[in-house]
Amino acid sequence: MPKISQRLCVAVPPGIAIIRSWSEYMGNPHRRLRRLGILTATATAAALLLAACSGSTGSGTAGGAGDHDPNATITIGSINEPTTLNTVKGGNTGHAQVLLRNVVEGLTVLTDDGKVEPLLAKSWDVSTDGMVYTFHLQSGVTFSDGTPLKAADVVATLKRVISDESTSARKKNLSIMKSVEASDDSTVKVTLAQRSQSFLFYLTATGAAVTKPNAGNPETTVIGTGPYKVGGWKQGDSITLTRNDTYWGAAPKNKEVVYRFFKDATAENNALLAGQLDLVTQVTSPDVLAQFSNRPEFTIVEGTSTTKELFNFNDAVAPFNKVEVRKAIRQATDRKALLKAVWADRGQVIGSMVPPTDPWFEDLTSIDDYNVESAKALLAKAGHAGGLSFTVDYVPSDATNIIAQGLKSQLAQAGITITLNPVDDATWTDKVYKNHNFQATIMTHVNQRDLVWYGDPTFYWQYDNPQVQQWVKDSETAASTQEQTDLLKRVARQISEDAASNWLFLDPAIKVAATSVSGYQKNNTTDSFYVAPIAKRG
Amino acid sequence: MLAYLLRRVAWLVGALLLAGSAVFVLLRVLPGDPAVTLLPVGAPPEQIESIRHQLGTDRPLLTQYGEWFGGLFAGHLGDSLFTGIPVLDQITARLPVTLPLALTAFVLSIVVAVPVGVFAAVRRRGLAGVAVSGLAQIGIALPIFWIGIVVVWLVAVQWRLLPPGGFPRAGWAEPAAAIDSLILPVVTLTIAQAALLIRYVRSATLDVLNQDYLRTARALGYSLPRALWRHGLRNGAATVVSVLGVLLAGSLIGTVVIESVFALPGLGSLLLTSVKARDLPVVQGTVFLMTATVLLVGLAVDVIQRVIDPRLRGSA
Repeated sequence: MPKISQRLCVAVPPGIAIIRSWSEYMGNPHRRLRRLGILTATATAAALLLAACSGSTGSGTAGGAGDHDPNATITIGSINEPTTLNTVKGGNTGHAQVLLRNVVEGLTVLTDDGKVEPLLAKSWDVSTDGMVYTFHLQSGVTFSDGTPLKAADVVATLKRVISDESTSARKKNLSIMKSVEASDDSTVKVTLAQRSQSFLFYLTATGAAVTKPNAGNPETTVIGTGPYKVGGWKQGDSITLTRNDTYWGAAPKNKEVVYRFFKDATAENNALLAGQLDLVTQVTSPDVLAQFSNRPEFTIVEGTSTTKELFNFNDAVAPFNKVEVRKAIRQATDRKALLKAVWADRGQVIGSMVPPTDPWFEDLTSIDDYNVESAKALLAKAGHAGGLSFTVDYVPSDATNIIAQGLKSQLAQAGITITLNPVDDATWTDKVYKNHNFQATIMTHVNQRDLVWYGDPTFYWQYDNPQVQQWVKDSETAASTQEQTDLLKRVARQISEDAASNWLFLDPAIKVAATSVSGYQKNNTTDSFYVAPIAKRG
Repeated sequence: MLAYLLRRVAWLVGALLLAGSAVFVLLRVLPGDPAVTLLPVGAPPEQIESIRHQLGTDRPLLTQYGEWFGGLFAGHLGDSLFTGIPVLDQITARLPVTLPLALTAFVLSIVVAVPVGVFAAVRRRGLAGVAVSGLAQIGIALPIFWIGIVVVWLVAVQWRLLPPGGFPRAGWAEPAAAIDSLILPVVTLTIAQAALLIRYVRSATLDVLNQDYLRTARALGYSLPRALWRHGLRNGAATVVSVLGVLLAGSLIGTVVIESVFALPGLGSLLLTSVKARDLPVVQGTVFLMTATVLLVGLAVDVIQRVIDPRLRGSA
């Protein structure tokens, strides 16, 4: 692929960088990541989550600390401004990154290294049939306005997340709560309609985080029990979090955190270069790293993620309803070259919908590995000896632009002609996701354990294999975590052998920060971005 | 003149209604459902319907259209679908960034372009004149975001003279910081606008230079600057003024790009964000307001032209 690998051999002049970031006006990759924050319904035993991030070590934070200034202001750059502060709103609202764990807290919390730990619930008892959970709340907890937290507030929140008002990503999962009641001021009893080993994990979601009822316009006001309160939201510009001095837990290591929002990654990088920012939450292209490497005032940190870049087919329509065609396309794809072009060899090639941090990971990259001759033979067998052409819808971003161009030139080698159709975010959602009106598409899927979507034949790629659906279903009610893992390993292998999609690679999680700050999380494994441990040298 | 004004205002109202309808229809034709963007992946169809109902986007288009126009006459542009904040409040909150930016750039580009354009015309055969019109041509050809990025890279990132973007959180309560943060955006927008205007001024001046009356004035002993001042300015101005409306529209549209490049929380970035989120009332309100501004300026330009050029008055 001379075209794409050359791209990285030349230093990118400012002009090119702009054109690439200009295309982001049409689709901000972070927003897509959040929207496709496809929350999965499998994750069985909470204990399994321990393994979800086995790749990370310790607390998963980065940077070395000296004497820190306890009253520092930390300024964080992000291209993911929330559209609302309403915690029970889902979709691409981008508020989890700002609010979860910082302003609002759940009964349980998902840590950076993938564990479910107690937060507002000090402990809990589970009935032997697994249907009744009794949560004992932490004592001495107050909302940031001084009101004490009562069990009734928790009940109100849990009822709210499954109410009509809610569009929370976990609404469906949490709807297994048959009844929620306060036994006394510090005890909450939840009765489930069916056994669910993932229940404690579901409770870590933004929608289940406890908010003070009737605190004002829910779209712009949120009062929680977290280490910060919302100091102000200047729409289109920034959200300021101010330290909650009455916080019940350990005090944050800084006084104020400002999230500054950018429309454009280049503008964000410039702000970091000029010293306006302390930290950028996610670098969207390796090209910008050259500006920061070899400069002592910046630290580049690479962590793990669960973000998968996919080239999906509409498996229900011709020509993709033939497995030979799908396999041929996979074999005509040189994933390593794509990864090199997009991330300069950071990240990792994958062979199915499973990142290495999921317990059911197996290296399946040998299935339908790159082989143009075999791809041509498969196409001929499927009756497309004369070639094949189709349209690929995608939302342009740094990564997808390169992937799209790379696929175009790679597939051409096997006689496949693709027409690229860049669309904006909302159009993609409407056309591809909702109406299934597409042939193929490039999309980013962020969540852990989202393999289970292959068990849903109505999901946008319309992969329909009854055996896989049964395995996915059984894995959720499995008696042991081992059984669940075994079943989902089978699913991962089966979909790969069926070439249900063309899984390309796993994105790296790259952050760039000023050397003076430390303590930030380095992995992209949770929805939240916990800022309390971030310290700045005085 | 009064009859003319009345007729023009009536025309303006008609044009506004038409523009409002166009905006409304275009946004509905555009793919992308605001309800879907609010929902998580995997949401069942009945939930989409329920959100649509909550947002009010499930009602007949004519009802929504009537409601929007009704609100318009009452001075209410609707509320954001996502935050519930009145659109007018959102727009007002962004004006302290966009107004100074667009207006300063507009005025500056006139101040720069008129003398430079006249100079380029008078010295059209000299090296300086050719250089000016060449540079102006390049300025027109370069995309505005490219100019912006180069300016940021040089002045803010390399030389560290000014901030690369952003607006102080306290806004104009920190006047020095606010001005600092607007200098580069204004310069960028001015470069793009002045380049265009220089071309117009230059050709208008060339036109005037070739007129008989100017030759006569020179023959009567006027110096060239004096002849241009006494007889050329008014004649040339009519052409140039007619471009100003287009220029102001360009300034407003330019803010969409400029505010992204410079991370400014202005009207342009509000428009961009709400288009992407399909926050229909906000897009409608913002576009409508921008359209109204451009139409009003167009009217002002026409009136000014009639004041400058008496010949136009009879023809109405």
